[in-house]
Amino acid sequence: MKEQVYINKSSEVYDAIVIGSGISGGWAAKEFCERGYKTLMIERGGVVEHRKDYSGENTPLWKQEHRGKVENILVDQQHNIQKQCYAFGNATKQLFGNDRDLPYTTKPGTEFSWIRGNMLGGKSLLWHRQTYRLGEYDFNANKLDGYGNDWPIRTKDIEKWYSHVEIHAGISGSKENLPNLPDSEFLPPFEMMAPEKAIKAKFAELYPERPLIMGRTAHLTKPSKLHISQGRVQCQARNECHAGCSYGAYFSTQSSTLPAAAKTGNLHIAPNSVVHSLIYDEKTNRVKGVRVIDNNDLSEREYFAKVIFVCASTIGSTQILMNSTSKKFPNGIANSSGVLGHYLMDHNYNSVASGDIDGFENEYYSGRRPSGLMMPNFYYKPDPKRGFLRGYALGASAYREGWDSQQHQDGLGVEYKNKIKQAGKWRFGLYAQGEMLPRFENQMRLHPTLKDKWGIPQIEFDVRYTENEQLMMEDAAEQSIKMLKAAGLKNVSGRSTHRPPGIAIHELGTARMGRDPKTSILNGFNQSHDIPNLFVTDGASFCSSAVQNPSLTFMALTARAVDYAVKEVAAKRI
Amino acid sequence: MKNDNASITASASIRTNEKSRRHFLKGFTTMLGGVAVGSLVTGNAISVAMAYVPSNDNMLTDGKIFNKNQLVLLKQICSIVIPKTDTLGAAEVDTHGFIDNQLYHCHTKEDQNTVLALLTLIDSRAKQQGSNSFIKLTAKQQFQLLTELDLGEHSFDQIQRADFKLLKQYICFGYYTSEVGATQELRYDPVPGGFKGSIPYKKSDPTWATRGLFN
Repeated sequence: MKEQVYINKSSEVYDAIVIGSGISGGWAAKEFCERGYKTLMIERGGVVEHRKDYSGENTPLWKQEHRGKVENILVDQQHNIQKQCYAFGNATKQLFGNDRDLPYTTKPGTEFSWIRGNMLGGKSLLWHRQTYRLGEYDFNANKLDGYGNDWPIRTKDIEKWYSHVEIHAGISGSKENLPNLPDSEFLPPFEMMAPEKAIKAKFAELYPERPLIMGRTAHLTKPSKLHISQGRVQCQARNECHAGCSYGAYFSTQSSTLPAAAKTGNLHIAPNSVVHSLIYDEKTNRVKGVRVIDNNDLSEREYFAKVIFVCASTIGSTQILMNSTSKKFPNGIANSSGVLGHYLMDHNYNSVASGDIDGFENEYYSGRRPSGLMMPNFYYKPDPKRGFLRGYALGASAYREGWDSQQHQDGLGVEYKNKIKQAGKWRFGLYAQGEMLPRFENQMRLHPTLKDKWGIPQIEFDVRYTENEQLMMEDAAEQSIKMLKAAGLKNVSGRSTHRPPGIAIHELGTARMGRDPKTSILNGFNQSHDIPNLFVTDGASFCSSAVQNPSLTFMALTARAVDYAVKEVAAKRI
Repeated sequence: MKNDNASITASASIRTNEKSRRHFLKGFTTMLGGVAVGSLVTGNAISVAMAYVPSNDNMLTDGKIFNKNQLVLLKQICSIVIPKTDTLGAAEVDTHGFIDNQLYHCHTKEDQNTVLALLTLIDSRAKQQGSNSFIKLTAKQQFQLLTELDLGEHSFDQIQRADFKLLKQYICFGYYTSEVGATQELRYDPVPGGFKGSIPYKKSDPTWATRGLFN
């Protein structure tokens, strides 16, 4: 008889528990299972089965309820925060959290947008799939200017793990040999459009230190035998990824890590299991399991394991640690340093600029490319003259105006209809994704009185952008406008904006790594300084945000941490 | 909730034969080579059932926001803004009925009132021209009146002009996201098969109907 994957109650002591099933949790489960560990993956939300549960997939707008928009009543009652996410719509709404059930607060005078994907696969189903390695300057940044603590690792520690995860996940991109953006193991890059190539060439001439490259993205532009054996095929360029992809053409837990983990026969999944706290055994100084509240009927149960990996998302993981109190750890488990919850970061997407491109009337494209271009951070070297610390990358892309732009023109009737039918001007835009400094003051904490429906204390955020972030975004807008004008674009406009932290959905920090147990939660292998069999491998472990989209680093850190944990277990140190 | 290992690996169970899904999955098995996949995706029955279904007889009854007379007027405006050419126009695909439904479910009261006030304005200006309603004006007079509104000229001010631009947006959204608008007037390819950064374009080629899930 086949073993059942999905479990509810179990008294078994698993070799490993992985809390969370998103990008980090999926990788942890795969790596443990492939090393022969009986692994229990715990997911707070329900099951989303690859392919069959992508209910919004491949449904053209005229077949969607409200042509892709979401009904007012539903938004007001359930998605007042989630609606801020660009990817929230009729085809995706079931993959977003229900704000009514997931309340949180912000300290008066502060804002934080917390976007949630609480289901099997987590935000691996909803991510934007941009994948970049961190570079040596990124790992050195905190040490050089003194904000945050020094990363306990450098590129040499992690590069082979980047390669390991990239080969499995499938990353498209171009080799560039850049000083601070290491190349990945690449599948071919997506093509640039003709005006993008022209602007790239113009920038290369005007700003040789600011290359414009194709976005690096976890899409199978040319699947390897390994990918095909996973049941994944080439990206079809629908650009409807957030609704789910039955081709498995973008990396998600469902398309990539879960099938690999399941294939071993070592994987079990406890869905609808909201982790309340970790069970700590003071005598052995080990975590021995987790307390879970059932997502649906609110009943309690426990699961046990020899090693516990917390991969519940940056905020989710730290919430669990904070809510796991004991005599030895009255302020949250593994928090002897007192920095748990502090140094919360996001990326700052608060500068936009765009303009018209003359010409290229005879050029068009086919397919819907699920990625834009990237101008990597050109401020990776510190410079006191700049007036602010750290830097930003610029996302970019061209498009040719369609009906949604052309509808605004004056006119009626046949002439109006025929004008809209034709492709309009080419346009090109740049938007910034800036580094946010790690600051002690930017933090999350458990609310002293408010709880959610599972009886877990709500999170209160106290996070602000400061002058450094503001000056950086003003600079980004200024530089973007200057570059677009210099490249010959017309009607260039741009500005810095004021969207709240959190909305980039790149929450990082709050359980940072570090060499010193007095100032950090985790060591250089994502292992708790205080408790040897406890690991946190998601974004919570970051010491700085850098500017790169962080998911690829979650994958690499997680795979590396599992390898280390298994060796430590074998050496009987765990 | 119970399931076995095999079902979350590549060879998931075969589900449905629904036609559009078959089209979507055309070639899927070939691409996967030796891996037996078959038809893997369920139909989106709920979503399809709840999508707005264009109607031919909604002129007989009041809508959710607009009464019968207002719907008749809105239909006429739709037919003037995006008329029938060699493809159907906005009125023929029931854009007026769609707008009534969409405004009711997905827009604010303020948006709804803007359109209601605009319809009243259009009829009242028609009355000033001696007609008892906009639809009783000649085709030429109707086109003239809406053109003045569209440009904010003569008796229309810039706020009224902006309100009409908003209504034009609703009409365009309704039309270009309809099946006729997207697939016959414009170009729509549900599964492009890959991205090409450069293809030739000439002025008579229709534009792509969409750039992805969100536009």
